[in-house]
Amino acid sequence: MLNLFFCELLKLKRSKMIPISIIGVLSTPLLMLLEALQTHFDKPELSFTLADIYKSSVLYSMLLTNMMIYVAITAFLFSREYSENTLKTIIPIPVSRSRLLIGKFCALLIWILALNFVTWAGIFIVCGLYHVVFKLEKYSFPAAIVWLPKYLLGGILMFLTISPFAFAAEKTKEFVAPVIGSAVIVMGSAALANHVWGAYYPWTAIYFLVQGKINSSGYSTALSVIIILLLSAAEFILTFYHLKTEDLK
Amino acid sequence: MKYIIETDHLTKRYGANVVVNQVNFHVPKGKVYGLLGRNGAGKTTAMKMMLQLVFPTGGSIRLFGKDCRENAADIYRNIGSIIETPGFYGNLTGEENLEILARLRGQFCKNAVPDALEIVGLNKEKRKIFCDYSLGMKQRLGIAAAFMHKPKLLILDEPINGLDPIGIWEIRTFLTKLTRDNGTTVFISSHVLSEIEQIADIIGVMHQGFLIEEVDMAELRNRNRTYTEFELSDGQLAVKIIKDHYPATNYTIQDNTLRVYGPNHIVGDMNRDFALNGLIVTKINPREENLEEYFSKLIGGGGIA
Repeated sequence: MLNLFFCELLKLKRSKMIPISIIGVLSTPLLMLLEALQTHFDKPELSFTLADIYKSSVLYSMLLTNMMIYVAITAFLFSREYSENTLKTIIPIPVSRSRLLIGKFCALLIWILALNFVTWAGIFIVCGLYHVVFKLEKYSFPAAIVWLPKYLLGGILMFLTISPFAFAAEKTKEFVAPVIGSAVIVMGSAALANHVWGAYYPWTAIYFLVQGKINSSGYSTALSVIIILLLSAAEFILTFYHLKTEDLK
Repeated sequence: MKYIIETDHLTKRYGANVVVNQVNFHVPKGKVYGLLGRNGAGKTTAMKMMLQLVFPTGGSIRLFGKDCRENAADIYRNIGSIIETPGFYGNLTGEENLEILARLRGQFCKNAVPDALEIVGLNKEKRKIFCDYSLGMKQRLGIAAAFMHKPKLLILDEPINGLDPIGIWEIRTFLTKLTRDNGTTVFISSHVLSEIEQIADIIGVMHQGFLIEEVDMAELRNRNRTYTEFELSDGQLAVKIIKDHYPATNYTIQDNTLRVYGPNHIVGDMNRDFALNGLIVTKINPREENLEEYFSKLIGGGGIA
């Protein structure tokens, strides 16, 4: 299993998806910096803290930008074996189709967590730059570290809700359907971000859970988590079943 | 165990379309089995079923004397394969691609990868990534991947596609050496009939999903494959003479060119009778039918591959 995971990582060597995904997730810290500068110049009477910036960033990192990037990564990981014709080289080795998928999902989880870490660290760094020039209240590493577990938890939840896109990439053997799907999902998330029903929409529920907004929405945290887990389980099963029974023409 | 590959009524059906129809392959140990057939004959699908890339809808496959579904892990470690154009990760070098395969196989040996690259002549291009490879280099890497772990059976679908004549010669020599020195069994398909003819011990011919012929090359060489070609002044008169004097003779006529198959001891008598009946014979050539002619005759000829 360790070998499979190592091989999944080796497959990413020199892959352009790595720098592209890092640049992509760094857009969230950049947007937060721009928002902070805008507030500073337009409403100088408003004061805000590092925690406020992290809280605002969750909208971008869990719901908008990062989600689209993670879908692109998923589509890349799961469709490349078809587009590069590598399955017919790997399967006869023999490698179990299930184990191959487990290796991919492990790599995806690590990649998502790493990118969420990059986003978290990026926010801390750009806020540091802001702090040097304009002074940001309660800017400290302990204040930032509080948000790291939340970011990592968000990463795990995002990984769970991304499984439908893995299935779409495997089924269509390309990038297009998952990316279009992600646009639809993100639009739905944006529409429900300020609505209590968002607690039951798996992709918005992550945002609610990480921000601690579920209770204020009046809905049950457990039910939101169950919905995320059910979606995830159904799509994982479909993804495994599809590859296990598929003829590789 | 007599056969390394043995299929029993192997069938693959896609809806109403039967791509492989009740095929019984018999591939003996240590032999090169050449599989011939036109595009869409079912060769690649049959090979993919042997490699568990495609699931059969009927029949069974025995590899090394065992059912391939029940002993997959043990069986497939002893097999190397290429199916159509070999697929590798474009962002990795040949060495890295082979390392992945070796690790996945669980037989990572430090020297296996460089040795395999050296044999196929890719050791000088270590830093080149796969997507910058030429078609021939890609094919060579596929061959390196197939034999890197010293398999007992090689299943190769069109392995010489994209290779230049020297590359083809090198691979042919290498495969011959493998079977001779290591006893490796090779199951190979190709459209380059002359290449199959040069290395195969047994030939299988597939047509429209059926295996229509499975024959030993030595037997094939002896079977109706030598003939004498006459160039004559009147083909129709020659046919009349053959029917009258040599009714059991196997022959073909096209315009004024007559081909008489089989042993040539009657050729002298036939030539005398042609002359006595006023026919002018301008040429008499002893010939041997090549595999392409035999193959064309067997599957209806024309438009091979």
